[in-house]
Formats: sequence, structure tokens, C-alpha cells
Amino acid sequence: MDLHSEMILAEYEAKQPVYKRLESIVQRTLEDALARNGILVTAVGTRIKTPDSLAGKLALKGSKYASLSDITDILGARIITFYTDDVDRIAAMAEQLFEIDWHNSVDKRKLHQIDSFGYNSLHYICSLPKSLVDDEHCPELNTIRFELQLRTTLQHAWASINHDIGYKTGVEIPRDYLRRINRLAGILEMADDEFSRIRAEITDYRRRVQNLVRKGKLDDVQLDGDAFNSYLQARPFDELNKRIASITQAEIQEVPLTRYLKVFMALGCNTLGDVQRLVKRYEEDAYRLARHQLGATDIDIVSSAVGVLNICIVCVLSSGGGKIGLKRLFEHINGHNSENEAIAELTFELAKNLDYGSN
Amino acid sequence: MKTEIVASGNQLIAKFSGRLDTAAAVQTIEDVKPLLEASNKEIILDCSALEYISSSGLRIFLSIRKEASAHGSKVIVRHINNDIRQVFMMTGFVSLFVIE
Repeated sequence: MDLHSEMILAEYEAKQPVYKRLESIVQRTLEDALARNGILVTAVGTRIKTPDSLAGKLALKGSKYASLSDITDILGARIITFYTDDVDRIAAMAEQLFEIDWHNSVDKRKLHQIDSFGYNSLHYICSLPKSLVDDEHCPELNTIRFELQLRTTLQHAWASINHDIGYKTGVEIPRDYLRRINRLAGILEMADDEFSRIRAEITDYRRRVQNLVRKGKLDDVQLDGDAFNSYLQARPFDELNKRIASITQAEIQEVPLTRYLKVFMALGCNTLGDVQRLVKRYEEDAYRLARHQLGATDIDIVSSAVGVLNICIVCVLSSGGGKIGLKRLFEHINGHNSENEAIAELTFELAKNLDYGSN
Repeated sequence: MKTEIVASGNQLIAKFSGRLDTAAAVQTIEDVKPLLEASNKEIILDCSALEYISSSGLRIFLSIRKEASAHGSKVIVRHINNDIRQVFMMTGFVSLFVIE
């Protein structure tokens, strides 16, 4: 190694404490900002270049760097996203968080010719603004540049495998293999775009469902997880729960009701309109059943599932489902376990003598 | 009312015996504290010898479930008698707890 490279390496060793502090600030800043913006990602990571890696870089192109500060990837940060759209969102976020060295930043996604495929990633060369950190004892925290890489999970997979195949072996790869690797980059680019499109269409579908639920056009909404969640947001069991709770002046403990989707499907509901009709048909009997059970007790806590549970029980019994129907109902709610039969038996005994007016 | 907590591998087993009513709740809350602090455990609420549970007892079970969920633990209620089964059923908590 030449003297110039040795001096850069010595400076690198001396500045390790500053780089470690910088690394910690960058990691925390990115994680906080992602959480604040509600962006879920696969990974957020930082690393400080190892002495061996730096020595290798200097051996290859040491003369390019006048000093350590010219090497912008001693500290590297990488965010791996689920979707391509999120790369741009996070880039916008980074532009607000950090000073960007636009001259040295590069969007490799835009470097490809129309007929070429390969490495796709957005690289920003950044530094910390004084608004983020201002330590008069360590002004280098604002001057040291670091590299932020943004890429999707698929881009990361391709880049990692390409690196493993292309560099680790140390052998020049024949053109045919390189072409096949690059063809895969094209396929993954298409997959990334498709994932983003699917996400956008699902978001659009959810909005349409919410809109139909808001307008009360429940017969137009097929019963599925999204539709049922939208329905639950309208809190369709609140009135019944309050009536039941008032039997013993009980408090209502909120619990998730999403598992009742399977129950309504099993009860033959195909649309939210079917669910709504079933609820309306059986809610009075559900209240009577709850009153019959709770009336003679001093229980002053019920769950927000009490209304829908009683509706489903009444529906099963009114339809002649009996103990077996109740057991199936509890299997849909709780999964298969030996307790379901005992609960079904007990429920049947408690409810069998009620006359269901809506039957 | 007596509460005994036994550790067994990845499980914490709370064995309740007697009547978990309002009078017993204060002591029981103290007794189950190790369950509230446990991380990534399977918490078994063994009710083989539990004769009765009141609303106060239900609230304790709810607290255990809430804390367990926050700490990556799972709660299973085991061996309830018919009276307690009825309480779980009529309150709708049957669809919140795993009951075996």
C-alpha cells in the first residue's frame, strides 16, 4: 500500500468514534422518521466500512481520493422497502431529514437504457444538518458524508445474488451467464411494478367498499375480510351490546370481532347485506337470550363480542342447528378444541327453552 | 382462594383454587404479577380447582391476557367447570380466550 493510502487508513482509524456516533444518529433518525410517516419496510440497516474493505477500495482507486472525507460510503445506510413507490416516498423523507449532495447522488434506476436491465437502487450522499445535530465539540458530525441506499426487497435480492455470483468467485463470468442474470433483473422489475399495482388496486378496492358501506349499499359488497372490517368500523353491534350491558349495568370490554367473518360466511352470508339482514332478524332474540343468561347474575363486565355471539347462537338454534350447529359455531370462533363441545352443550341447555319469536 | 405459579420449560402455569371473587381479587392480583411480566411464554391458567369466578376475576384474566399479548406471550385457560364456562359464554369472553 502506498503512503497516501496509509494516511487515509490512519485517519479512518482515528475517526472511528465519530463514525460510530454518526451511525447511531443516522439509524435512529431513519427509524423514527419511518415510524412517524407510517412506512413499513423490510429492513433499515447501517454499517461502517471495515478496514479490509477500505484498504481494498484504496488499492483499486486510492489516487481518486485526496482525503478520507472524499470517500462517501465509509458509513452506509440502507433501507429495503416492500414496494417501489416507497423508495420514492422514503427518498422524499430523506431529502427533508438530511443535506443531500446532489452532485454525487445517483438514481441507478434511471441510468438504464430502454433495452437494459440490472442494478436498480437509489443512492443519496447525505450529511446531517445542524437542525438535526449541532455539537460544537464534534463539528464533523455535520461534515462527514454518508451514503443512503434505497431499494426494494426484490432489487436487494437481485443485487445480493449478483454480487455473490459476480464478485465473490473472483472469476470473470461468461457473457451468457451475465445475460441470464440481467434478464432476471428485468423479471424482478416487472414483479416490483406488479406488486405496487396490486397494492394500489387493493387500496382502491378498500376505498370503494368503505364508500358502499357508508352509503348503506351493503348488498353490493361481497363478504370478505376488507368488507367485514369496513362493516365493523360502522360498529353495527354497539346498540345491542349497550342493551345487553345495561341488564347488569356492566362495562363493555372491547375485543376484536374479525373472527366472526368466518361465522357469518358459514351461516350462508355472501354479502354485507346478508349479514345486516341476519343481524336485524335475530338481534331482539339475541338480547332476550343475553337477558335470560345475565339477568340473574351480578356480572358487571361483558365483551363487545357478546351481541354478535348471541346473534349467531340464536341464528343457529332458530335454524334447527342444535348442539352440533353450536359446536360448529364455536369451532369457527375458537378453532378446533375439545372445549367447544362442552360450551355448545351448555349453551344449548341455557337457550333451548327460549321461544324465538323471529323463527 | 389460592394461586400457585409453576414454571415448566417455556410455560408458566398458574393454578387457581377456590373462589376468585371480589374479596380474593386483591391478593390474586399480587399473586399473578409474575405472569404480567413474563415475555414470550405460554401462560396456562389452570382452573381445575377454581370453583367460581366473579367479574373481578374476569378482569384479572383480562389483564393477564393484555399484558401477555404486549409481551409476546400466549394465554390458555384450561379445565374450567360448567359455572365458569357459563360466565365466559354469557359475557362473550369465550371468543377472546383460548379455552381448552
